[in-house]
Amino acid sequence: MSGSSEVNLKQTLRKIEYPLCAQEALKKIGELLCSRTTNIKSMDLSLDLMAEFVFWEVDRRGNKRPHPLTPLAELELIEILFEYLSNIPNEATRNTLFLNLFSPITANIRLGVLSKLVSLAVGIPNSNILVCASTWMQQLGNTSISSCKLAESIVFDYIHLATKPEERLKTLPEIAPPFVANLLTAVAENYYVTKKDRKYPPDVLLSCITNWISENSTLCMAAQLRQAALPPGAIAMEATTPIAGLLKWCVLAPIYRQDQEIYSKLYLALLNSISEIPKSNPPRAINVQHLTAIVTPLVQYFRDLKSRDESKNLIITDVPLQLALDRFGQAIQIALSVNAVYGNLDELFNSLQNLPFNKLLSIVINRYNQNKVTVIIV
Amino acid sequence: MMPHATLVRNLPQHNLLKELKVFIIGTSKGDRQKTTELTKTALLLLRKLPACRGAVFQFFCKVFDTAASNYIQCIETEINTGKLPKVSETDELVISEIHMALITLVSENPIAWAPTISTWSLELLGEISTKYSGRAHISTNLNETLQLWMGCRAARTLVDINTKCLSSLIHSDTESCISALLDTSVKHSPNFDWVVAHVGSCFPNTVITRVLSVGLKDFSQNRSFDQVRSSPKLKSVVGILGHLAGSHAQDIREAIVEIFQWSLKETFDDSDSVRFQKKATVPYVLQLAFLSDTLLSSICKQTRNILSVEVIGKLYHFIDDWIKYFGTPEALEEHIISLILRCETEGIQILELILSCSQITKMKGCNDAIKMDIREKALELLENILQEIDESVRHGYVNPSILIKSATFLLEFSTTPQQLALVVKILSNELVDKTIPPYSEKGGHFSIVLEQILSRHIQRFSRSNEETLDLSQMWENLLALLEWEKSDKVPILKSRMISRALEGNFIHLTSVFSSEIHHMHIIADILDRTEIPSAGSSYSPPIRVILNLTQSTVNYFFACCRDSGTSTKYRGFKRSCNILRRLCVYSKVAKVLALRELLERALFRADNVLFGAKNHSVHDNSEKMLLKQNKKINKTIPLTKHSTVFNGGIIGVGKRKATSQEAVQQEVVAHNTTELINALKACCALQEENKFSEISLDSMTLLSLLLVQFVSPDVMYNGLPWPEEEFSKVTIERDLFIRRTFTNTPLLWDLLSFVAVNRPALCYCSVLIRALTATLIHQWKSMGDQSKSNDNAHYEHLIDTTVKVLDVMALGQLLPPPLNCIRDVLPSLRCCEIVDILRDCIWCYMRDHIPSPALFSCDQNGIYWRDPITARPPERYTNTLRIIMQRNIESFGSIYAQMFINIPKHD
Repeated sequence: MSGSSEVNLKQTLRKIEYPLCAQEALKKIGELLCSRTTNIKSMDLSLDLMAEFVFWEVDRRGNKRPHPLTPLAELELIEILFEYLSNIPNEATRNTLFLNLFSPITANIRLGVLSKLVSLAVGIPNSNILVCASTWMQQLGNTSISSCKLAESIVFDYIHLATKPEERLKTLPEIAPPFVANLLTAVAENYYVTKKDRKYPPDVLLSCITNWISENSTLCMAAQLRQAALPPGAIAMEATTPIAGLLKWCVLAPIYRQDQEIYSKLYLALLNSISEIPKSNPPRAINVQHLTAIVTPLVQYFRDLKSRDESKNLIITDVPLQLALDRFGQAIQIALSVNAVYGNLDELFNSLQNLPFNKLLSIVINRYNQNKVTVIIV
Repeated sequence: MMPHATLVRNLPQHNLLKELKVFIIGTSKGDRQKTTELTKTALLLLRKLPACRGAVFQFFCKVFDTAASNYIQCIETEINTGKLPKVSETDELVISEIHMALITLVSENPIAWAPTISTWSLELLGEISTKYSGRAHISTNLNETLQLWMGCRAARTLVDINTKCLSSLIHSDTESCISALLDTSVKHSPNFDWVVAHVGSCFPNTVITRVLSVGLKDFSQNRSFDQVRSSPKLKSVVGILGHLAGSHAQDIREAIVEIFQWSLKETFDDSDSVRFQKKATVPYVLQLAFLSDTLLSSICKQTRNILSVEVIGKLYHFIDDWIKYFGTPEALEEHIISLILRCETEGIQILELILSCSQITKMKGCNDAIKMDIREKALELLENILQEIDESVRHGYVNPSILIKSATFLLEFSTTPQQLALVVKILSNELVDKTIPPYSEKGGHFSIVLEQILSRHIQRFSRSNEETLDLSQMWENLLALLEWEKSDKVPILKSRMISRALEGNFIHLTSVFSSEIHHMHIIADILDRTEIPSAGSSYSPPIRVILNLTQSTVNYFFACCRDSGTSTKYRGFKRSCNILRRLCVYSKVAKVLALRELLERALFRADNVLFGAKNHSVHDNSEKMLLKQNKKINKTIPLTKHSTVFNGGIIGVGKRKATSQEAVQQEVVAHNTTELINALKACCALQEENKFSEISLDSMTLLSLLLVQFVSPDVMYNGLPWPEEEFSKVTIERDLFIRRTFTNTPLLWDLLSFVAVNRPALCYCSVLIRALTATLIHQWKSMGDQSKSNDNAHYEHLIDTTVKVLDVMALGQLLPPPLNCIRDVLPSLRCCEIVDILRDCIWCYMRDHIPSPALFSCDQNGIYWRDPITARPPERYTNTLRIIMQRNIESFGSIYAQMFINIPKHD
């Protein structure tokens, strides 16, 4: 496309009122990005078109607009995006467009629009857009800050604000399993973060997740099971499963006095999910580092306990701590048994040594050490 | 499995998406008709697709805004037309729908929805309040605004929604709501204040404690002194607490004490931010006290309960953290000292506390060094406070300063010259700094003293239960001071301290003069002695004050007329003449106002009895003033009950009742009249006195024209020329009216004489004389052949009036000799002869010699006159007179000779 036709295109679009011009611009962007011959120039043009005609971020001179879109105009834009994206028949084209609209560079400023778009797709629901969102999370990293923010806003919309959230979200895993898997990974990152003001997941969220996982034990693996259709030349990123993150909740819950029964149920569902992880070589379901991360808060709790009470007997009899260690040990054992953990296992077991005594955990550790010895001997 | 599931889910997908599209199309078109349906869609979206909430709330904003706008328009229409238009039903319906839906959401899930909805409702209220402020009737106070808005369904609903949000959170987390309240208050104050007041009165405790703690949180995040000073949130906190202070002072006090006690308690599980807040509490409270006197006095009352030597020992350790909020340790100390000095009550307790701090010997948890430090600091503080008090006495930093207060006291209560002299001594003392603002700006300390007293005096009329203020002594003292200054015998007063202060407060002074009854004489005396306004003086009062003073002086003049006293009354006349003369010379507007007021009141108002008028206007209580009727906003205007009014009375009411009134004594009337003429003379005075005349002819012309304007009811035929006598048939009704006015208001004769003396002003009253002459000719004609021997009252009255008219004309030189002597001839003549003379000599002469200033010539002394020798009328105007006189020569011998034979001639 020559320079003058570029100018012509922009002039034509400027004659159309916003947000109708967004519709036209999207068509044009689609053509530019998905044509056989994409070059840097057409990429640049499409970025310009997005900023000026779709997201209303800059004016014709490229200056930042002083006022953001009003909520009503934003909703109109979101509806246009929704219509356009959900009606693209080809998944790869859809994903390409989605990834470009919310590229890593612009995702931060467009997160509001993105969250609302995805939220609408959850509520209406629309699997095409949810798949796009899933791919997006995966490509940007489903534990990245953007993904976590997206997850937070979906949780706020449907867990906090919506009435009867469990009912409304019940069927979501059937509509877009990979999206739910990625969402869970991100959601898991939002709670039990070791900071001053620690946040705990609301009960409704817990029961929702528990229902999902116990009804569909392969849900946690859904993102890994299905290969996303990506634009040509893109490198597919490996999805992190929510297993380690959710396990962290279950293990740490007792020591933070989150004693709801729902944690036990979630824990059971997780164990089931782990035990049904399909065999793969090399293992890819659980990163050992994510498991090791659970050790630190446990050690911290143990230290606090120790500093408060001089007598060490208490530590062994501290019920929450023992429960947490029990859960941790069991989970590690099952994960190892289905060969789902990848990475340097020694690192995990070394750090486990720092934990106080627990019968189950010590058996697990001993067993690992024995196996290792056998491997060496063999 | 999968295809089936998709099918089932396609249905709601279709529906929700469709609803979304309907909503978007509906809102982008802005179709008023469909608001009801659109609202339903919006509410559905709000429940099903929370991501749309921003847009939905924006749509609701439009709905509420439209409703508010309709409401305001309704009120404005009501104000303009008196009719209340119908309220839009759509608005009511839609708003109640939204109301219900939002309330349901809040009650179902308060923690999630209440903050969002409350913030939205507050922001919208803020926007609406600001947008329509100044519309409908301008509300002057909070209550009016509150009433205006609580009458509006939209605003009421929003307030209710917000109240529900707050009450649903009351046990968990009101912080976000109160924070939103503060933010909106920052943005939309003062239009938003009514919401704050309303919310505050619904949840006084919550609002007070939360406002305090949210403010503290914000305050503790300030990093520097500048940030503290420019923090809008702090001002908002003060504003809101100020609103609530009226009705919830006790709650505020308790909340402040509570927050202070809380800050003293240290616990282990405090987070960093809480620890920060605790450290910031005392500076926060100090800043609040600094910004609001109400809060300061609240805190002062609690000193005994919250501060003790032990507490100070505890606080000692925090001082380093406080300093950053004030800049420097010195600034902190200054801040505290200024607060202590501003204490209205309980200051003693604070001083006692400082004293006991300066003597501490043992204290828990403090080592000797600390105790020493506290002792030294307390002494230093005490010293600084004393120094500040001393400074403020001398320089008057504080307003009203102690200096001013003491001088005010002296001025109000001193009874001897020695005491009074102290005022001057104190204020002119060389230790008093005369270069700082109150002195240099407002014309000296004494000016401030006067301002304090007068404004207190004026406020007394607006406030109902104010202390009774007897200022008699003050006025006496003020007058005495002014006399001292004017006497030029007191060197210290050479700086014109008193005059300057009076000039500085002239506005107040005149307004007091206009409303004061008991002290009017003394105030008039003071005003007279100030010699304001004068052309030479540097002080020129604003025109408003000039007019006010003119009006009040006229009032004062009439008050003197009514006064039964003797010497005070006469001195009062003199004073009002002096003031009026000064005013009228200074300002033309004042002259017009003074003349008009004097004339109108003396002739037509109730005051006219003082000048011998027979007051016929009966003010019947049942008679309603049209003005009052118009002020009532009625749907129908009642037609006047009486459609036929006769001179004798109103049909249906009966004969007009003769009013009996206390007759004013003849000599009082005469005296009042003289004084009125004097006052008029003062008004017409020339700027510089002239040897032969002190009266300005322009002013006399003005007076003369005013008389015509007041007395002649007509606007036509008011010109100078006299028409054919025949023409008087056309104007007979008007002429009779004028004649009756003269009969009822004898003062008019005196005024006319006054005008006549100052030639040629009488020319402008030509119409009045013409009317009188015309009616006289008619009346003499109708007397028929009755001779003077029929010595009845009617004849007496007629001849008396005729003589008066002729006298005035002769006095104004409208009639040259020999016509000017007719007055002496008439009483001896028969009626028909009188008619002939009046017609042939007077009327015809006047008809042919238009009474205009052109007839007069001005001599070298500036006096207008007609030379009686050259102005002698031709014979045809005197023939009738001469023949009649010749016919009665037996009685007119000597006068005939004087009129027709011994005529002076120019050599």
